[in-house]
Amino acid sequence: MPLFGKQDVQAVVTRAPLMNGFGTEAWELKNAEILHLAFEVVEGPAEWLIPPALHPSIPPYVTLSVARFPTSPAGPFALAQVRLVVRAGIRPRAYLLGAYTNSAQAAAELRARWGFTIGLGIITLQARHDRVIGQVVREGQTILEMELENPEQISGADVTYLDSLHLARVIENGKETPVIVQVDPEYVFHTAQRGKPRLISLQADAWGGNGRLRCTNPMHATFCHCDTDLPKLRFALDPSVPAVQSSRRLAA
Amino acid sequence: MKFGIFYELSVPRPWDREAERKVYLNALEQVRLADELGFDQVWAVEHHFLEEYSHCSSPELFLTACAMQTKNIHVGHGIVICVPEFNHPIRIAERAAVLDILSGGRLEFGTGRSATWTELGGFRANPDDTKKSWDEFVHCIPKMWMQERFSYEGKYFSMPSRAVLPKPYQKPHPPMWVAVTSPGTELDAADRGIGSLGVTFTTFAEQEAKVKEYRRRIQNCSPVGGFVNNQVNTVNFLFCHEDSETGTKIGMRMIQHFNYLAAQLDMAKEAYPTKSYASAGLLPSLRRQASSPGELGKAPEGIAVGNPAHLIQELKKWEACDVDRVSFMLNAAEIIPQEQLLNSLRLFAKEVMPAFAESQPARVAAGGGR
Repeated sequence: MPLFGKQDVQAVVTRAPLMNGFGTEAWELKNAEILHLAFEVVEGPAEWLIPPALHPSIPPYVTLSVARFPTSPAGPFALAQVRLVVRAGIRPRAYLLGAYTNSAQAAAELRARWGFTIGLGIITLQARHDRVIGQVVREGQTILEMELENPEQISGADVTYLDSLHLARVIENGKETPVIVQVDPEYVFHTAQRGKPRLISLQADAWGGNGRLRCTNPMHATFCHCDTDLPKLRFALDPSVPAVQSSRRLAA
Repeated sequence: MKFGIFYELSVPRPWDREAERKVYLNALEQVRLADELGFDQVWAVEHHFLEEYSHCSSPELFLTACAMQTKNIHVGHGIVICVPEFNHPIRIAERAAVLDILSGGRLEFGTGRSATWTELGGFRANPDDTKKSWDEFVHCIPKMWMQERFSYEGKYFSMPSRAVLPKPYQKPHPPMWVAVTSPGTELDAADRGIGSLGVTFTTFAEQEAKVKEYRRRIQNCSPVGGFVNNQVNTVNFLFCHEDSETGTKIGMRMIQHFNYLAAQLDMAKEAYPTKSYASAGLLPSLRRQASSPGELGKAPEGIAVGNPAHLIQELKKWEACDVDRVSFMLNAAEIIPQEQLLNSLRLFAKEVMPAFAESQPARVAAGGGR
């Protein structure tokens, strides 16, 4: 059998958000801009960032994204995420390690509706002709700075964004329960660019890295304009049980 | 229709000292039996870094061992990766020629380009370039074999005039194939006059249309080699048992293990945005088909697991699609015990093969093969 994650769920779930159940409405997010980079990571330590429900991919890699959403039910907001790519059974997914937004209102909604582990920060996204730059600053410290260099146009059909898995807490049968929810947005691409990924700085511990997240081999960088969403939740699973045994479809 | 066997050589954890050796020795025993039973080809993949899924990184060595222990079965590269970071084309030509000599002219030469980031990234190969380097290699390698001396100035490699030695035993050279994974590669195969080593089967109707187009198109090809290899080979799974329920249950268990291991890899399309990998590649194509929901207690359409009657029924459908050969994966992660697997091969040879004894006429153009 493939390797399983070794994360101590009980130890980390205390910092996971408490959700308002699974019944959220979807949010439409038009005219989004998303800078997305991927890097392989050191394998052994990364296994400790993945719950036992999931497998590390071979090789494991991390996606770093900075996105700007000009319209949403919570008003405009920016969102930065660090996600570790995993397998839920046979399905490729990205497990959220940590996220930041520049909007307190958005943060509250994202926690309660979709189980984002999220904090507040200053997020900038600058698209230039020679590069696209994403930066996140928290309490005066730069915790992520990254670039896409030498952008070239590609087809949006060539871009793959993996669905997310979020560790959260819910009240079920009167009891607080750890859960992983799947967040699977759709994308309609208007433009897409690809370039060389450059990671200038990543303070991994600010994203839940716990000293175990180290980026190595650069993979790709994309910058896309698209319409997307934060959809209704469709699937949940038990973080401590293999996904093939514990995945469940949520009520429509 | 001819039948072959196809090896990924998957090795389940834990990887103790004997684990890999046991898988290789089991495979060699299976190959010896397959040769005795009348199977026509044994194929071995070239994969790198694919933990548990495939520990077959030096197929030329495995295939040489197969050739030395058998008499008739063809030994097939399924495939050699034609990407310069993996293999220099001169070394490919040399190694293949030696294998052809040692096997007495039994080499089938499959080509391809890898479909995983796990491998491409591991060799720091650019996924954008793999189709182009493959094309350059398949045009040059047969010339290295056929010409006494060969020189070339290209994009992915260059060489001054040299004699690439030895020359293959088969004249003008072994049959050439390409692994058909991405949509349209079967047309690349046809245009170059090489065989289609396909695994991207969907419905029988679509497969039939693809083969028909391949046959039509290859009539007007510009052959890269000294002859046209007008053949279609498809890959399948095999587990044959007298009892239908047992055969299906064990066969599907093997397929599920295969799927599970394959799914852990980083496919090129997932990991690197490029038009060069429009589909997810070899493994998911086969996986989707094998995982599609069949009727309760039955294998999905086209998959060769179950009792002999069922296998004959499914393989007749492949034959009706004008497929020349079917090559079978026999195990995954050693989930099927060796003796049970050998019995499956014996039963297949006894009960299923005779139903296909009247093979279609060979389509290899004159001058090809031995």
